[in-house]
Amino acid sequence: MATTVDPHGLDNTYDDASKRTPLVLGGLDYQGVTETACGFWEAEKAPKIWWILLLMAMSLLGILGGLVNHLLMSGVGVWGNNNPAYWGWPIVNFVFWVGIGHAGTLISAILFLFRQNWRTSINRAAEAMTIFAVVCAGMFPGIHIGRVWVFYWLFPIPTEHLAMWPNFRSPLLWDVFAVSTYATVSLLFWYMGMVPDIATFRDRTKSRVGKFIYGLLSLGWTGSARNWHRYEIAYTLLAALATPLVLSVHTIVSFDFAVSQLPGWHTTIFPPYFVAGAIFSGFAMVVTLLVPARALFGLEKLITMRHLENMNKIIMATGLMVGTAYGIEFFIAWYSGVQVESYAFWNRAFGNYSWAYWIMISCNVVIPQLFWFKWCRTTTWFMVIVCIFVNIGMWFERFVITITSLCRDFLPSSWAYFTPTWVDIGMLVCSFGLFSTLFLLFCRFLPVIAMAEVKGIMPRDGHH
Amino acid sequence: MAENTNKDADSKLIGLLGQFDDPESLVAACSQAREAGYKKMDAYSPFPVHGIDPAIGIKRTVLPLIVLGAALSAVVVGLGLQIYTNSSALDALAPFPGYPFKISGKPIFSIPANIPVTFEIIVLTSAITTFLGMWILNRLPMFANPLHRISRFKRVTNDKFFLCLEAKDEKFNRSASEDQLNKWGAVAIEEVRQDLTDNDLPKWIPTAAILGAICLLLPPAAIFSQWGQTNRHPRLHVVPDMDWQHKSKTQTMAVNLANGMDEVELMYADLRSARRPVDGAIAFGSLDTDSELNYGIKQDFAHTISSRKNMRASLSEDQEKPEVDAAAPAGEPTENMEQWVTTFPEGVEVTEDLLTRGQQRFNIYCAACHGYAGQGDGLVNQKALALAANGDATWTAARSLHDADVKGDAKNPVGRIYDTITNGRGNMGPYRAQIPVDDRWAIVAYVRALQETGLKSPSANTAGAGEAVADEAAGEEKAE
Amino acid sequence: MHETRPAKITSPVVSLGNGYVRTIPVAAIVAAVGIVVAILFSRGPGARFMHAYLMNYAFLLSICLGCLFFVTIMHLTRAGWSVTLRRIAELYAMCVIPMGLLFLPILVTVLSGSDILYPWVDGGWSMGDSASVAQTASFVNSLPIDERPPFEQLKHGYLNPGFFAVRWVAYFLIWGGMASFFLFTSLKQDKTGEGKLTHRMQAFAAPAMIVFAASLVFSSFDLEMSLEPFWFSTMYPVYFFAGAVLSAWATITLTALWFQRTGRVTDEITTEHYHDMGKMMFGFIVFWGYIAFSQFLLIWYANIPEETFWYNWRINYPGWKTLSYVLLIGHLFIPFLAMMGRTVRRNRNFMFGATVYLLVMHWLDHFWLVMPHYNQFVGGGIEGRGWSTFNPIADLACAVGMIALFIAIFCVICRDRPLVALQDPRLGEALNHEVH
Repeated sequence: MATTVDPHGLDNTYDDASKRTPLVLGGLDYQGVTETACGFWEAEKAPKIWWILLLMAMSLLGILGGLVNHLLMSGVGVWGNNNPAYWGWPIVNFVFWVGIGHAGTLISAILFLFRQNWRTSINRAAEAMTIFAVVCAGMFPGIHIGRVWVFYWLFPIPTEHLAMWPNFRSPLLWDVFAVSTYATVSLLFWYMGMVPDIATFRDRTKSRVGKFIYGLLSLGWTGSARNWHRYEIAYTLLAALATPLVLSVHTIVSFDFAVSQLPGWHTTIFPPYFVAGAIFSGFAMVVTLLVPARALFGLEKLITMRHLENMNKIIMATGLMVGTAYGIEFFIAWYSGVQVESYAFWNRAFGNYSWAYWIMISCNVVIPQLFWFKWCRTTTWFMVIVCIFVNIGMWFERFVITITSLCRDFLPSSWAYFTPTWVDIGMLVCSFGLFSTLFLLFCRFLPVIAMAEVKGIMPRDGHH
Repeated sequence: MAENTNKDADSKLIGLLGQFDDPESLVAACSQAREAGYKKMDAYSPFPVHGIDPAIGIKRTVLPLIVLGAALSAVVVGLGLQIYTNSSALDALAPFPGYPFKISGKPIFSIPANIPVTFEIIVLTSAITTFLGMWILNRLPMFANPLHRISRFKRVTNDKFFLCLEAKDEKFNRSASEDQLNKWGAVAIEEVRQDLTDNDLPKWIPTAAILGAICLLLPPAAIFSQWGQTNRHPRLHVVPDMDWQHKSKTQTMAVNLANGMDEVELMYADLRSARRPVDGAIAFGSLDTDSELNYGIKQDFAHTISSRKNMRASLSEDQEKPEVDAAAPAGEPTENMEQWVTTFPEGVEVTEDLLTRGQQRFNIYCAACHGYAGQGDGLVNQKALALAANGDATWTAARSLHDADVKGDAKNPVGRIYDTITNGRGNMGPYRAQIPVDDRWAIVAYVRALQETGLKSPSANTAGAGEAVADEAAGEEKAE
Repeated sequence: MHETRPAKITSPVVSLGNGYVRTIPVAAIVAAVGIVVAILFSRGPGARFMHAYLMNYAFLLSICLGCLFFVTIMHLTRAGWSVTLRRIAELYAMCVIPMGLLFLPILVTVLSGSDILYPWVDGGWSMGDSASVAQTASFVNSLPIDERPPFEQLKHGYLNPGFFAVRWVAYFLIWGGMASFFLFTSLKQDKTGEGKLTHRMQAFAAPAMIVFAASLVFSSFDLEMSLEPFWFSTMYPVYFFAGAVLSAWATITLTALWFQRTGRVTDEITTEHYHDMGKMMFGFIVFWGYIAFSQFLLIWYANIPEETFWYNWRINYPGWKTLSYVLLIGHLFIPFLAMMGRTVRRNRNFMFGATVYLLVMHWLDHFWLVMPHYNQFVGGGIEGRGWSTFNPIADLACAVGMIALFIAIFCVICRDRPLVALQDPRLGEALNHEVH
């Protein structure tokens, strides 16, 4: 049978150039993979901790609902957005959440194209994270438009009421297309990848309701070779489409800023720099989610230390890319000789928002350097702390970009200091409630591990 | 074995299903089956087995070509959408006008700015085509598959591998095929039978379907029935969105919406949008009981105020201020010089601060015509006179505050100066709306100071400031 | 199942052998002739020739740097599939050391105080159009630094001949150090087969990548962006990098095809490798297009004169406009559509043509980056004489000469060294590599 004997127990972080380290540990065979991956779903009762977390998450979600309602009833004035910082926290939160989503697509699409087999254990959870993050992200610009009931004006739908089309030369409209395309394609990709695993649930569930729902969702999947053939090609095609898509999404988000003439926003490095930052924060979020999840759901043999270590290495690499971009920006701000540009960057580092800037630098550039040490990137509690710092840092990156540039208007008399309101803070905190609720429900009711894909990369010893 | 194998009459043999325990033996079995001449067969596995495509003879799918076609057509659709919606040239064809606005100096149709949206449309179209195309080519969803009735087959999504030789195949023979499967290493063999007993559609389904279709047709039918009809009722607005409000708009009559939109009626019968104030009503902050402070008129003459109050209201909107009363126009009522206060009223203390304030206000409001030193040589005045000399304008020259018939308590007591600022005089317009009471008195104090010191700006302590340089000096002072 | 090949080198010939003895003289002669023709037709080694030299130099250097990146990234990701291609990249990367010598003409021009190449060497470059530069330059040049125009004062801190030379010495130390470390460690492994050498290279790759990135950023600013000292774009290094990687991938593929056609390393590099290289080239074509478009869009959209003049020269004047469209269509659309299919990527003849084509496009890209500067500052102004300064014989002769010289250098570096890693622990993985 296909088994993997691992002499190192559950530690597969050692390096051996002559032999690939196994990605499935504990001598699991196909059956074992299925049972491990389904363990949490098949449990009669979810553990207390899951209920507690769900309760907390749903409480935050409830507050979020109240806050959104308050916003819609009272208008966007309940936020701190005001002259000259018309883009306040909602945009910061939007960019933050969209960025987080990017790691999921990166794992599922780009690592797939590069045939990084270690992606299989984590891609499903990461893709789910993508979708939930995009939901959170989409909420902010959605409610930012003020009159949400006419949101359809954003799309080129002929409405007699407006009697006008959207302006296709506006980067904000590009955003509408980019984010909605991204959400749709991610959803298709996620669902398509899940169908074979939902079929496993269909064949294993004992409840009638489960049989019906999973039966419906799995579309009658049989695992026929002809189906698999087209399925794999379609999967590759979607990956090939999702890769430029994921680049385009954060690129277009960066265009929102960079096509303007505002010092600190208008710089050509923004597109790749935003993408790198997005992947950076997204991976940090994946690690933050998967470390507790693998312990809670007993997935240590599938989501191994090696997986976490690889992600930590990517976090370090993308962190350095982001750091390089900070450096280039600073250098060119000086080199350009443009006074306002130099001032914008000087102001970031030493002006009245320097606290935010240095939080950003320490969280994004300095702290991830700890991952040079093997202990740091293979100790679960420690890596979670680092990753939380990374996410704090990436939130502050968007804060620094958005707020510092806006608060230093071309007209010094308009200079201001942005202060968030309690609604701003509440919405940021509670958006985590929306995210966590969705993620916790996903963990309980849908396949967290891409079982079919994991089985596909398991080494089959003794058959060659 | 499954329950559906009891009678040949009730069920039909679809094929033989052989079970294998690992992917290698499945691939081997497939190759052998193919060599044995089987064409109609399929392998089933929990994951895509490497090498099974050639073993079973699967041709490469056309899906990529379909997607490529969709992508190319999306280029046309994406660009076409943007050309169409952003151009005014196509208005004749469009139900709504385009968006022919110049934005940030970009051409109406800007290819670079249209690339992002085109790209997203391409990706979206291709992804949806891939997704749907794959399922359609795979003939999924299909929920009624005899394979799902075999309990052993449930492990196909877990850890077992199956090969199904279909009965339709020419080579298929119930017993021979079973032997072959055994030979190729199948660990278990089962018949796949299709249950024929429940092949017929239940009778209620067509009925329900027809009823459902009729119900679905009702809304469009209802809409269609209204086609071309006129309707006096306004459109249904789910969210009113402040479309109708009790308010007056310029050039329109104020409509009363209290009774809904059925009967259009005016808010007030006299066509006004609001009621006039009750007689004697005074706005907040306008209770001007102190006539000396507010009008520069002695208490004894306070009763004359109401008739003077809007004296200038009918004057033209000519904001240029000519003069401090030259010869009064004939139509104006004779002025009672007794009424003006001659000293600063109570509450106005002439201090250095007040004079400074007065100078500052004077330089803002008055100096434009009267000049910084009050000589009547303000820039506006100069320019207007130059234009008037060419016949390009009509202009009454601003008076110098130092003229003999302007200066002095007899001609202009402080109360009268105050009144001049408040209500204007001659062609000079009123400044009561721009300058608050305290500031008016400050200006009065400053004007008196100017007049007292001759042509010099009183605080211009530099030597020789009495000459034409006074303007500049005052200007510099202000800048400091 | 499929057979698994043993992790052993089976090709009869794995080195250049006597090939290089024949190639080097031919290449050297072509190089000499090409460069002499270029000098003659550009009427002396003045601005024309130096620009052509710089342009070709940038083209070749970008290939070397792309190959150095290939080696580093493959170690960083512990890639197994590319082991049999890595040696080619290692050898090309090693060419940066002789490329350091070829940098001397540029460096000498700068150090001698001549502004025929980089205007910032002399004062007066911020004084306006080309006509007045000539009159004012000598005056401004006579001023001490702190009395020159503000832009020149500011940028003199970075753009001055001394610091320029120091930077380039540092770049070549970094690149030469990396390239020789990777090549010699890998050659050592050919003999000993030690697994720990692989670990050593992997450990080295991570910090090396950081230094490499930093040096690439600043060298791209120095080499081409500073030709127009006014202009700045933070994206520029990424643009340079995208082109470099694409051309490096094309060069590696082309070299592998050349080796295999001449009967060398016939067994180790398979269709699967070509397929994968083709895929990655496809990816980098898209990446190049993405970076080029983003840079253009942001500058076009914001429409700030300090930035737009650079594109204005290139897209609004005859000749350059055509070249811009040629790049858009030829560097992006055509290869994008052509390399999309799986069948073509597995076809060696197609890959041969595609790689040559991509290299030509990459050459044109550098032409487009460098030459408008010559046209504007030395060749009489883009608005004035425009495209008429194009000097096809000089430019092409210089290209032929430089490329021939580069081939000669490559052959010298190859000598009788194995053209494939002989004992890499992941050899088996590469040999059994399969695209699915």
